[in-house]
Amino acid sequence: MSTARDEILQALRANSPTPENHPLPPVATLGDLDASRERFITSLRILGGDVLEPLEGETLDQAIVRRHPDAKVICSNVPEAKGTLPVEKVKTPQDAATIDVTVVRAPFGIAEMGSIFLSEAQLPINSFAHLGQHIVVLLAADQLTANMHTAYQERPEFKTANYGVLMSGPSATADIQGVLIRGAQGVRTLSVWFT
Amino acid sequence: MSDKPVNHARAAEHFIEDTPHLQFHDERLWDMRQKRDAQMHILPEWQELREEASRIKEHTLSRLPEYLEQFEANAKKNGIHVHWARDGAEHNRIVGEILKAHNARNLIKSKSMVTEECDMRPYLAKQGVTVTETDLGERIQQLDDQLPSHIVVPAVHKLTADVAKIFAKDYHTDPDIRDPHLLAEAQRQAARPVILHADAGMTGGNFVVAETGTFVVCTNEGNADLSATVPNLHIATIGIERLVPRMADMGVFIRLLSRSALGSPITQYTTHFRGPQKGGEMHVVLVDNGRSARLGMEDFWTSLKCIRCGACMNTCPVYRRSGGLSYGAVYSGPIGAIIDPTFNERKYSTLPYASTLNGSCTNVCPVKINIHEQLYKWRRVLVQHHEMPFVKREIMHMAGKLMGQPKMYRAAIKATEVSLSTMPRFVLYNWLNPWGKHRENPHPVKQTFNDWYRKNRETAAKPAAAPETKK
Repeated sequence: MSTARDEILQALRANSPTPENHPLPPVATLGDLDASRERFITSLRILGGDVLEPLEGETLDQAIVRRHPDAKVICSNVPEAKGTLPVEKVKTPQDAATIDVTVVRAPFGIAEMGSIFLSEAQLPINSFAHLGQHIVVLLAADQLTANMHTAYQERPEFKTANYGVLMSGPSATADIQGVLIRGAQGVRTLSVWFT
Repeated sequence: MSDKPVNHARAAEHFIEDTPHLQFHDERLWDMRQKRDAQMHILPEWQELREEASRIKEHTLSRLPEYLEQFEANAKKNGIHVHWARDGAEHNRIVGEILKAHNARNLIKSKSMVTEECDMRPYLAKQGVTVTETDLGERIQQLDDQLPSHIVVPAVHKLTADVAKIFAKDYHTDPDIRDPHLLAEAQRQAARPVILHADAGMTGGNFVVAETGTFVVCTNEGNADLSATVPNLHIATIGIERLVPRMADMGVFIRLLSRSALGSPITQYTTHFRGPQKGGEMHVVLVDNGRSARLGMEDFWTSLKCIRCGACMNTCPVYRRSGGLSYGAVYSGPIGAIIDPTFNERKYSTLPYASTLNGSCTNVCPVKINIHEQLYKWRRVLVQHHEMPFVKREIMHMAGKLMGQPKMYRAAIKATEVSLSTMPRFVLYNWLNPWGKHRENPHPVKQTFNDWYRKNRETAAKPAAAPETKK
């Protein structure tokens, strides 16, 4: 008995348009190749994210408390911030649900979109990036790539991570009468702290 | 499933009776179209991107078996279980079996048009599985027991008051809420415990990368990421046409998708799944459900390039003024009208007529599908297959005869002019004249073009022609 797989592939082979008429175009790199921090920040703000700028003499922990004064549980996965909950306590995906602010480091950002990348390499557990109420993302200004073309061509993470998410601002919806609401089901705010 | 042709015109009639809904729907979708235009104007390379996207998709479709096999091999290497489903029933059975093997009773899922195609929710309900949609718009539609009316914004035909009424019933919120923020918050609060206690999560897939065995999911709410990362079992349902060859190709498509859909540069979340998370299990179900047959349709195979952005719906004057539900199908709007007949030619035989053939859909399509030409070609196919309503068929038949005989045609035009100016309305506007149902017949003219031509040009032209006739 032939399997579904065989039958589908066989039907596709029988029905395929002539491959010679449809050659694969070379990889495209189009558009603005500006990878500046300024471009990244402008894009980030369009998507509803923001930059957390340190005040003079302020530590990252202090800046987080200033930005999120009501936060009770702050959980950091980076050495630059201490937080209030040791990250070792987050063991199951559900454990991340009690967190008010999560702190992580992104290996790179994309200037065109204001996107930051996170994968299992930056997260104690994948839900860490989504179940907390707010997220603070550390990003080195020299780890910006210009646009989506350069990102996919240059960053090895797209080919190595099992879970890789580009977050471009916080979660959002416009499903009720077209009103844009920032903070839908995932994080309510996303702040970038440049290092 | 009933084969009775969808009465799109009647459903649309019902939709336009309510002015506030109609007006909002029309304006909201046009606003999305204008935001898309604004994004297009920012990028000088826009047309080049469309051309690239179209060529990559056409290439991939011409070698689909190879790329599917490449994807499967890479995905398996990364620990993903890959399943193949010929149709909706097979897909549902596979998903049901995976859930049963894990004793999973609570499934959370993000939006997937393929699962709508397969009519999966009722099937799983019968197996004792509670399915909860986590996308806000899709959840609203689930609670209201309606199909999504738009592939990107499923509840776009509803106003805040409608949502408040639905949520009041199921979430026990105040039915008089008129602030969408409060309703979105109610959804967040209601969804969280369901997400935390779910046994399994389900997503669709916007793109599949053969080179790496990755599938890519694009959302704004973050609900797909929650559905995929909180439970340890992740099932993804994906149509077999969603492939691209290389990871580098994703640059082209991500730059086009959300700009075309909502006019935002990118979706808030663009997630790449290449393997299960630590301690988790991942399944991909590749669904054919008519796609392999469509690939063999010379005039229609390029509809498989579609990346489901909804731009053709937002721009379509008929869609904007008739609402997605009036199409009576999983896929509505111009793209629905060209793919629905491949699922059921008789049932969806009316949909290719839900168009003015203005070509706007084709102009905005990010992968350059010739949608309006396919709409026209479908009409020809349907006529050849006799899938045409009686009155329309008879009128076309008579018109064809009339136009083939100039003398009779001129006489008929004159008679029409006389009747338009003399006959009572009930004779002119009735079921034999569907065109006049929502439109006024043309104003009668005192002189037809033919009369005018005979009087002004024919006589004037004669002296010049005279030397010729002398020869």
